[in-house]
Amino acid sequence: MIVVENLVKEFRVPEREEGLSGSLRTLLTRRYRTVRAVDGVSFDIPAGSRTAYLGANGAGKSTTVKMLTGVMTPTSGHCLVNGLEPYRNRRRTARRIGVVFGQRSQLWWDLSVPDSFRILRRIHDIPDAVYQRNLRLFRELLDIDALATTAVRQLSLGQRMRAEIAASLLHDPEVLFWDEPTIGLDMVLQEAVRELVNRVNRELGTTVLLTSHDLADITSICDTALVVDHGRVIYQGRIDQLLSTAGQRCVIFEYRGGPSPEAVAAEVEHALPGTRVRLDGQRVRIDHPVGLLSSREVLSFLLERVDLTECYVPEPDLGTVLKELYTRNGHRGRAPGGAA
Amino acid sequence: MNPLRPAFRYTPFVTGSLQSLLRYRSMFAISAVTAAASAAMMIFLWRAVHSSSPDGPPGGFDTAELTTYLLVAQILGLLHANRVDDEVSAEVYRGHVAAMLLKPVSYPAVRAFACLPVIGTNALFAGLPVLLLFALLVPLNVPRPVDALLFAVSAVLSAAVAYLVNLLVGMAAFVTTNTWGIRLMKQTVVAFFSGQMVPVGLMPDALAAVTRLLPFHTMVDSPLTLLLGRYDGVPGILGVLGLQLLWTAVMCAVAALVWRFAVRRLEVLGG
Repeated sequence: MIVVENLVKEFRVPEREEGLSGSLRTLLTRRYRTVRAVDGVSFDIPAGSRTAYLGANGAGKSTTVKMLTGVMTPTSGHCLVNGLEPYRNRRRTARRIGVVFGQRSQLWWDLSVPDSFRILRRIHDIPDAVYQRNLRLFRELLDIDALATTAVRQLSLGQRMRAEIAASLLHDPEVLFWDEPTIGLDMVLQEAVRELVNRVNRELGTTVLLTSHDLADITSICDTALVVDHGRVIYQGRIDQLLSTAGQRCVIFEYRGGPSPEAVAAEVEHALPGTRVRLDGQRVRIDHPVGLLSSREVLSFLLERVDLTECYVPEPDLGTVLKELYTRNGHRGRAPGGAA
Repeated sequence: MNPLRPAFRYTPFVTGSLQSLLRYRSMFAISAVTAAASAAMMIFLWRAVHSSSPDGPPGGFDTAELTTYLLVAQILGLLHANRVDDEVSAEVYRGHVAAMLLKPVSYPAVRAFACLPVIGTNALFAGLPVLLLFALLVPLNVPRPVDALLFAVSAVLSAAVAYLVNLLVGMAAFVTTNTWGIRLMKQTVVAFFSGQMVPVGLMPDALAAVTRLLPFHTMVDSPLTLLLGRYDGVPGILGVLGLQLLWTAVMCAVAALVWRFAVRRLEVLGG
């Protein structure tokens, strides 16, 4: 559905010099520096998948999405969405994709949401049945009727995002590109948005490419992850497999009676080498490296030593795993965008 | 499939633009007052020049003809005030144009359809009152019906050229942020070289020659040549309309090229 091959995007940015004398100099002679935002990225996203496009700030995510949606033309390489090169077939691509850029509105600033929808219905030639079905869905899940006839520019961020999300789905697109879709939404609406996209994916087989800094969005919407760092793909695969690559696991527990928490901590660190123990009141947290110990070993040790009342073995969190992944690829510390 | 279907797709931009226009009622009054004031200034200035001219009317214009020319030139100016330059430069400057690129429509076409109500309302709420007002105040030349008809055709072409000029001016926002300066420059250039201030027939020969090489005279001087019957039979008519058509086509091609180049340049403002 989405094929990206050796995609490169370079920008020419003017070098600015410091201070007033520097500003005067740049007025006369301007030097440019080439910044490679996307560095030969290749990947392939099958139809019907829900993929999170992840990467630190400056990793080239939004640049790639802009090329995939046809807003930008790559410097070299190419990408195909639904068999079309988006920047060459902009209008034909636009009929088949739905886009949300959280930072930038897709709606008509001076018009109300129903008016904007009427325009979208016309320019996309949306059949009556599809239009009515989708409006019903948005009413039910996003409560879009509450936005009434207020002009889009007067809506709050959360209200506007609901309208943007609905607008991106109105024409039953085959591919959804969502960039930060849940900013400004409260918990209930975030949940509703996740349910909406999962429903559309299930019922219509819509392919979803999501970029978000909200890890809850990612884990509840997506099943696969594509991780880029400094313009290169460093991981592509299932999210649960990505999580299992975590180098550290932890066990959190509470207990009754027995030795003091400090004594338990000292004993654990001594008996299970490589572990680190942190105390939080009655609660004890043991971090242990995956290679040396399994959660089972840690647990059986605890069951013998103390009278457990509560115990949690959480799945490693995505944020930590991603941080590890970036560090392993040794790219940290270089300036984002890395001058070429 | 209905061949008109693609055009049909753009009709919501016409209604949308009309809706937002109707929110600013005072705008029409201001346009009308401005046009009336500048028409009055031009007309009375030229009438003074005319009456003190010792060797008869210059360039073969009599007073009523010259008055008609200057008044209708101002009204054509209202049809050219299609706001395309403002809208395009604002949308490019704020980056809203990127959102339009994500829609299955051509942005220049959207702007063309959206400026139709601007032209229509300007004509109705500003142009017509000004015309009626001056018809009561000063003697005007009443055109022959055939000339009025030719003028209508020519005025449509002049509005098309004005749209293309403003589209190009608006697209200047891709390269500079000082779109205000460029718009001001355009206004001056157009007001002068279109023949809105001085009929091309009254310009010194060298200046008139330069003016005839530029597209702007097709915006005011051409329609008025037809309205006042200052042409030489059918070949004269065809010459005027043909030149207008030619400039419309040339400007269309230029605008399309610039637009394609500009879209590729959008990366810089991509944000």
